Formats: sequence, C-alpha cells, structure tokens
Amino acid sequence: MSERTPKLHSSRFGAWLDHHGYSIVASLGRLLRKPWATLLTVGVMAVALALPLGLWVVLGNMARLGGEVRQSRDIAIFLKQDIDVAKAQAIAETLRGRSDVAKVELVTPPQALEQLRARPDLAAAIDALGAEQAQAALPSVLRVGPRGDELLLADSLKTLPEAERVQHDAVWRQRLDAWLRFGGRAVLVLAALLGLGALLVVGNTVRLDIQSRREEIGVLQLLGASDGFVRRPFLYLGAWYGLAAGALALGVLTAAWAALRQPLADLAAEYGSSFALRGLDPVSAICVLVGAGLLGWLGAGFVTGHYLRQTRPVER
Amino acid sequence: MTVLRFDKVSKQYPGGHVALADVDFAVEAGEMLFVTGHSGAGKSTLLKLIQLAERPSRGAVVFGERNLLKVRGGRIAHHRRNVGVVYQNHQLLMDRSVAENVALPLVLRGMKRGEIGKRVRSILDRLGLAARERALPSQLSAGEQQRIGIARAVIAEPAMLIADEPTGNLDPTLSAEIMALFASLPERGTSVLVASHDLGLVKRMRKRVLVLDHGKLVDDISPEDLADE
Repeated sequence: MSERTPKLHSSRFGAWLDHHGYSIVASLGRLLRKPWATLLTVGVMAVALALPLGLWVVLGNMARLGGEVRQSRDIAIFLKQDIDVAKAQAIAETLRGRSDVAKVELVTPPQALEQLRARPDLAAAIDALGAEQAQAALPSVLRVGPRGDELLLADSLKTLPEAERVQHDAVWRQRLDAWLRFGGRAVLVLAALLGLGALLVVGNTVRLDIQSRREEIGVLQLLGASDGFVRRPFLYLGAWYGLAAGALALGVLTAAWAALRQPLADLAAEYGSSFALRGLDPVSAICVLVGAGLLGWLGAGFVTGHYLRQTRPVER
Repeated sequence: MTVLRFDKVSKQYPGGHVALADVDFAVEAGEMLFVTGHSGAGKSTLLKLIQLAERPSRGAVVFGERNLLKVRGGRIAHHRRNVGVVYQNHQLLMDRSVAENVALPLVLRGMKRGEIGKRVRSILDRLGLAARERALPSQLSAGEQQRIGIARAVIAEPAMLIADEPTGNLDPTLSAEIMALFASLPERGTSVLVASHDLGLVKRMRKRVLVLDHGKLVDDISPEDLADE
C-alpha cells in the first residue's frame, strides 16, 4: 500500500519557516504570560553571567593599567649627593654611548624641585622647608631608558660607583603580570562553572514547562509531530531566556560602569593619570548576547532531547 | 488490499502482565470493524501497537507493506501521520481554536497555510461546525468536541482511523451520530477500527467485530454472523 498524502501541493520549506515563526512568537508569548517566573529565571541566569563578565571587564582594565605601567620601563639612578651637575652630565654622556641604553635624561636638583613644586600636596611642604634647603637635599637623577633586557641593565647600573640608589619596578610588574594571568584563568573557571549553572537553570525551567505541557506534547506526537516540531518551541524558549539574561547582565554591567567611571577617573587624576574605566565594547556585547542565547538554546536542547528519548516506544 | 495485519502478536509489559497473546487478524482497505472486550482485555494495547506508542514483544504488526518493528526514529512520526486517532476524552489542545486543532495534521505534513484553511473550512462545514471555527474547545459541548476530534483525525485522509471508546462520554443520540460519521469514512477509502466495550452499540452497527478476552482474540465475527445473532 502506498502512503496516502494530501493531494494539495505542499511546500515543506515554507511550512518549516512558518513553524519557526510560530515557535518564536509563541515561545515569547509564553514568557510574557508568566512575567514573575520569567523574571526570576532570567535574574538568576543574569547573575550567573554578570559575575564572570564583570570580572573579565575588571581584569581587562587592570591589564590596560598594567600596560601603561609597563610602558614606563625607565630606570632611575639617584646619584650620590656630592656629584655636581657637570659630573652628572658626564655620566649621562657615558651612558648614552652604551648599546643597551636607548635614552638618558638628566634631572638636576633645580628641575626636580620644580617638578615637586608642581604637585599641590608637596608645594606647601617645600615652601615651609625653604627652597634652597630643599634643593640641597635633592640629588641629581638620571632616567635611563633601556634597549633590550631592562633587568640586566638595572643590575649593571647598580655597579656604578656614582650611583647612590637604582630604582626599577620590575619585580612589582612581574607580580602584577602573574596576578593578571591568574585572574584570567580564574575568570575562565568561574565562567565555565557559572555558565554550567545558567545552562542548568534554563534546562530546569524548560523541563518544568515540558512537564506542564506533557499532554499537549503527547497529542502532537500521536498526531505525527516530528521530534524537531516538538522541540522547536522549547529551543526558542531557552534562547529567549538566554537572550533576556544576557541583556540583563549587560545592563547590570553598564550600570556598574556608569556608577564607577567618574569616581575612578577622579581618583586616577589625583595620581596624575588619565586612566578611564572601560566597559564592554559593542562587539563583545553582541558576543555576550549571542553566547547567552546559545547557552539557553543548548540547555533547552539537552532537556527536550532527553524527554523525547524517554517518550519513544521501547525497542524489544 | 490489506491495510493492517497482526501476525501472532503478543505484548507483555515490564512486570509480567500479558496484554495481548498471539493475536492474528487483518483489516482491508475501506473496512470498518470493532474491537470489543471487557476492561483490561487488551483493546487499548492493540491500538497503541498500531500507533507505534508501544512495540509488540513477539510477532509482527504490518501496516500496508511495512513491518512496524522496523520503523524507528523519525519514521515513527511519519507512520503516525498515516493513522488518524480519535480519543474518548477528545485530546484537543485547549489553548488553540477549533480551526487550529483541526489543522494540526496538515501543519505536521507541511501543507501551505492557504490550502490548510480551505480544507479546514470544508471539513468543518461537512460536520456542521463551520460557525465554531474560532471557538476554543472549552466553549463547545462534548458532542461538538468529539466531532472536532474526528475532523482532526480524518482531515489528512489517513489510510486508517482508530478510535478508543469514542462514544464513552456521549448520550445515545450523539453516539449514533458519531458512529454514522465513522461509517461514512470507508466510502472515502479510510479503514476504521473502533475499540468499544458498548456491545449494544457494536451490534447495532452490524460491522465485523473482534472480541478480546484477557489479551486473546477469542472471536472474529463477520457482519453476516452478527446479523444472524
């Protein structure tokens, strides 16, 4: 016997598109019909997404700050108090001739005094001390820009007999780098754990939705609905949850960025820095939305797949 | 032409309950027949095997030329589209309109929206329900709901229609009306298999009757024999 099909012409692709459209709208309708339940689910997911995202943003800013610090690789040589300006210039000239030195800048005691006076917190103290006495207490300083390995250069400069002290913050920068590397890894681990949490939240919500619609699904299956037909509305439901959670997480991060940006800029200005807090750029924000939507889709897919496998007739 | 064949079919559920034992019968195209028996005789299991909601433990259920044992995965849905089902409790989707409920089998077959609309209007018209097209099932009487269930089962012109106690909740007049509707389907080429424990109704219809008792097919009564009785 040949299978009887409707005699009317049918367009499978058109019907497939129709059902996708129906599933998108119907699943959104289901979310909007239960605003509180939806808000709770989306809220939990948003927190799970916002935490690693927030840490990621913080780390990005720290890395940028570290980068700015790294750019100032100069080594400061504080010359002995008895070295006069002429002698200091001679030492600078000698250093400029070295292959591992890119540049040498001499800061004489009067120049150092001027720089200190420019800082409002020190100007009053210098005035109280007396300019001449303050200048007398200041040594000549050579700022040496390294060419190549700065650690080797710093070690070498420490052997200069005219040097009282050589200041180089390599250890601090190495520690910062190590912390940033650790932070990056911690964010990945946290993102994986909380992402799994978000997946489970969507999965459980969709599972409850499937349970409440078991009869309807059963009827559809007995009428000949394919697994894809049954699964589709739930996949879109999961994707909507994910998208909404991603949008809420971005909203929370943007609000936090807006609240912290100005105070941090003011703080940085106090230290003579123009550092500004950066939020997520548009491309990253879109990636977050797409990723969150996929996460929801995936969670719903696991649960519906499991349910559909359970409802298949048992093979003998 | 044979539409359905049960070859020594047995079904034993986990736990040991034997629902069907060595059941043999065949249904021809355009034939209407009843399956009757007490509660627990195996009627529902028999219908489930046809729908592929269950699989036999032994024997073969052959639908058309296909052994249903070999139908797996996505082909199960495909097979079910060829079997219309009417339930005692109608099993309508309560949040969808009459027209949407009736249209479901055509939607599942991927038919175009405009063509679905034409077919739905045509069948609702035939069943006297055209005016209720946009109503929700909850706004209909039990008889109207059952007619909607039948419209949904036959709209895609399946090779076979199976009905599980379709008149269980209806009064005698409505039951007769529904049965008359079933009896008209074979004229359009659809075979009809009705499971019912209402012997009076079954006898009045004067169709072939399969009698099940504790999972065994104990009698296969032809319409002529039934008339003699």
